[in-house]
Amino acid sequence: MDNGTDSMLDMYLFETNSLMEQLDELLIEAEKVEEFSTDDVNEIFRIMHTIKGSSAMMEFTSLNQIAHHIEDLFFYIRENGMDSIAPELKKNLFNLMFKSTDMLRSEIEKVENNEPLTENIDSIIGEINSFLNKISDADTSDDAAQANGEETDAPSVAELNMELANCPDDPAPFFIKVIFEEGCGMENLRAFMLVNALQDLQMEFRFYPDDVETNSASAQTIVDKGFFLALQEESHIEKVIGVISGTSHIQSYEVIENARNKKDKEAAQEDVQKTEVAASTKPETPAPAPAAPPAGARKAENTEKAAANNAKSHSGPVKQSLISVNLSKLDALVAIVGEIVITESMVTSSPDIQGLKLDNFMKSTRQLRKLTKDLQDIAMSLRMVPVSGVFQKMNRIVRDMRQKLNKDVRLTIIGEDTELDKSIVDGISDPIMHIVRNSMDHGVEVSKEERIAAGKDPQAEIILSATHTGSEVIIKVEDDGYGMDPDKILAKAANNGILTKPESEYTKKEILGLLLLPGFSTNEEVTEYSGRGVGMDVVKRNVESVGGTVSISSELGQGSCTTLKIPLTMAIVDGMEIAVGQSMFTVPIANIRQSFKVSNEDVVYDAEGNEIVKCMDEFYPIIRVHQLYNVETEITNIEDGILIWVEASDTSYCLFVDELLGEQQVVVKPLPSYLNSFNIKNSGISGCTILGNGNISIILDILSLYEMAQY
Amino acid sequence: MAEDTKIVVDEDLDGTAEVEVEKERFLTFRSADLTFAVNTKYVIEIITNHAITTLPMVPNYIKGIINLRGQIIPIVDIRLRLGKPSVDMEGSDICIIVLDIDSISVGIVVDSVSQVVDSELSKISPVPVNNQQELVNGMISLDVNNVVLLLDCQQLVDSQMMA
Repeated sequence: MDNGTDSMLDMYLFETNSLMEQLDELLIEAEKVEEFSTDDVNEIFRIMHTIKGSSAMMEFTSLNQIAHHIEDLFFYIRENGMDSIAPELKKNLFNLMFKSTDMLRSEIEKVENNEPLTENIDSIIGEINSFLNKISDADTSDDAAQANGEETDAPSVAELNMELANCPDDPAPFFIKVIFEEGCGMENLRAFMLVNALQDLQMEFRFYPDDVETNSASAQTIVDKGFFLALQEESHIEKVIGVISGTSHIQSYEVIENARNKKDKEAAQEDVQKTEVAASTKPETPAPAPAAPPAGARKAENTEKAAANNAKSHSGPVKQSLISVNLSKLDALVAIVGEIVITESMVTSSPDIQGLKLDNFMKSTRQLRKLTKDLQDIAMSLRMVPVSGVFQKMNRIVRDMRQKLNKDVRLTIIGEDTELDKSIVDGISDPIMHIVRNSMDHGVEVSKEERIAAGKDPQAEIILSATHTGSEVIIKVEDDGYGMDPDKILAKAANNGILTKPESEYTKKEILGLLLLPGFSTNEEVTEYSGRGVGMDVVKRNVESVGGTVSISSELGQGSCTTLKIPLTMAIVDGMEIAVGQSMFTVPIANIRQSFKVSNEDVVYDAEGNEIVKCMDEFYPIIRVHQLYNVETEITNIEDGILIWVEASDTSYCLFVDELLGEQQVVVKPLPSYLNSFNIKNSGISGCTILGNGNISIILDILSLYEMAQY
Repeated sequence: MAEDTKIVVDEDLDGTAEVEVEKERFLTFRSADLTFAVNTKYVIEIITNHAITTLPMVPNYIKGIINLRGQIIPIVDIRLRLGKPSVDMEGSDICIIVLDIDSISVGIVVDSVSQVVDSELSKISPVPVNNQQELVNGMISLDVNNVVLLLDCQQLVDSQMMA
């Protein structure tokens, strides 16, 4: 694939995904009131229309088809109003919509992963069609009345001029009459698609009936009389025929020369104006785009409308000034800003100017420092996105499971505006989903009665919250269900053979920690939603991979709470520079609990001669960095160096290093990919950073360093 | 910074396109008393006197990483990579050729850099089967009774993957 298609695909995916997100939000909201408002219906229609169009352009047939049928369905609903659907069918409508959006989403995923699309989508389309039939059968009379009404409303140009040979009265010298396949249905929409396709040719033409997009009754007109395209120039005919023959469901077409080609210019003018009026008074335009071009360029108007609608879904009809930027460009920007931060400190702390008294220079460097700091803040904020996207997905999961499991649960979302680095948000989506599913499946009581008996609100609650604390974001998933029974967990763990010490010695915290170990799952049965062999250990690993930690707390009978602590960003870390021999290392400040000097007497030894030290009444192993990494250093006596007590996730130990050099904010750089083959990621090294003097410091990964030290 | 791999087209004065002699340019360097050549299309630059930050937990032939204008580049010692004994070099003497092989950047430590030579592709002969060794995928005889070994850049990066 060349670059052109690539970026087109990127745009397509971006656009379609954001449309799908809008749609999901809309559906969830609408389901709460069990009703689509007129705006909702228009919005869904528009979303489907856009997806249909862009999918057709990208030749993703299945997406195109599904969107097309949903569009048809909502076209009907729009024409007849939500009231025309019997209440008992509304529920089906929602289920159908969720099912089809799922289908669309899975197809989009396939596009993203470059997999072939599903070819057989008949079942879902059949479902949509049968539903459409069901609701349209229910009120045919209604429909007819309305159709009649609209027929009279319809601009007169189309009707009045359908005289001779059914040709519309138009000054254009040529007509093309298009006849669609018999019984292909939705002729008006097909005609409209054809018009859309022709608009891409950038030429002047008109079409009759000219209200195909908005008037469903025009379908009948097309069936009866055909669909006419009026062309200005002979040379266009060929191009148009090219497009027509590339369009499906067209039975035949014929080119007719206009016998009454003596219309004066005035009439032509008038005609154009009428078309314009028809175009701009389309009923579905919810917020007439203020910047719509005066000339009847419908395509432009359509995009404008789409843009306006897009903005509307966020904050009213005001157009938001948003642009979408490729993430890799942002990454490059952040990298360069990182360079600038480093270079700035290289310049200002250059050894050449040490000891000189340079007032003006100092003034300028202070200014420079402030500006670089601002620049850095802005660059970082560019990558920040709110977690609401992830949280909204949970709405959907809770909704689906509520139906399947027949549990009455409400999901309360707090702090969805909290912002996190984009890559981190992507990384925590799956873990959160897993935890929410667990809460729904195992956490919440099976029946209302059970909850009432326990003196709880019959409706269970799951609270999903995000809060900001300094350098990290805390995400909590709380439920007020059963809570976890430590004894059961312990028994299960013993059963699975993952205990490492006698059962009686486990504290409650440790027992809950067992849940996060591989090979543990509290539910015996595998259900559709949870327990697919992926346990909390996967959650833990995923969260740790973005530098976060997981912890569980629970009170039996009152519910449980899973807490994720996530760093704001992985690109910049507050680090403590340490020296070991000639090498320099950086330990993330977030991992450091304490640093202290010890005397030889404080160190105790275990049977294998490993050093252990006691801090705050607990014993922790000592890992000597110089031994672990084979660094030559003169400081080998424990009294000469310094111990850093570090903690990551559930691991806690002390590092022995030569000395602390100071705290510094560092820009994390990944190690060259060339070195990945040496399994360096698991050697306790998470990356490196360039210090102000141009030297490289290696950033330690406290967690994997400990794991490596064990072997 | 010679990235220009040239295909020199010999044209006679009368304009008739003649025998196209495919020539490539090679940078020769010495390491462990052997002369190697590396295609200049891979060469980014030659640097000397650069501080190398050693990395723990890697094979000995990975000397470490350097900071080249903000880019982190791993450094391989060709001597050690070939299994030759290392020579303790003073920091200032270390000569590094920075290569870009399929957008993987890697620096190689060599004893000294010699010259850039043009050679016709046809003059590259394969290594005799019995003498095959790592990292060499051809031999080029230069004019003056001088044969150089062609460094297999691909293997330099690939073998890493397998290691």
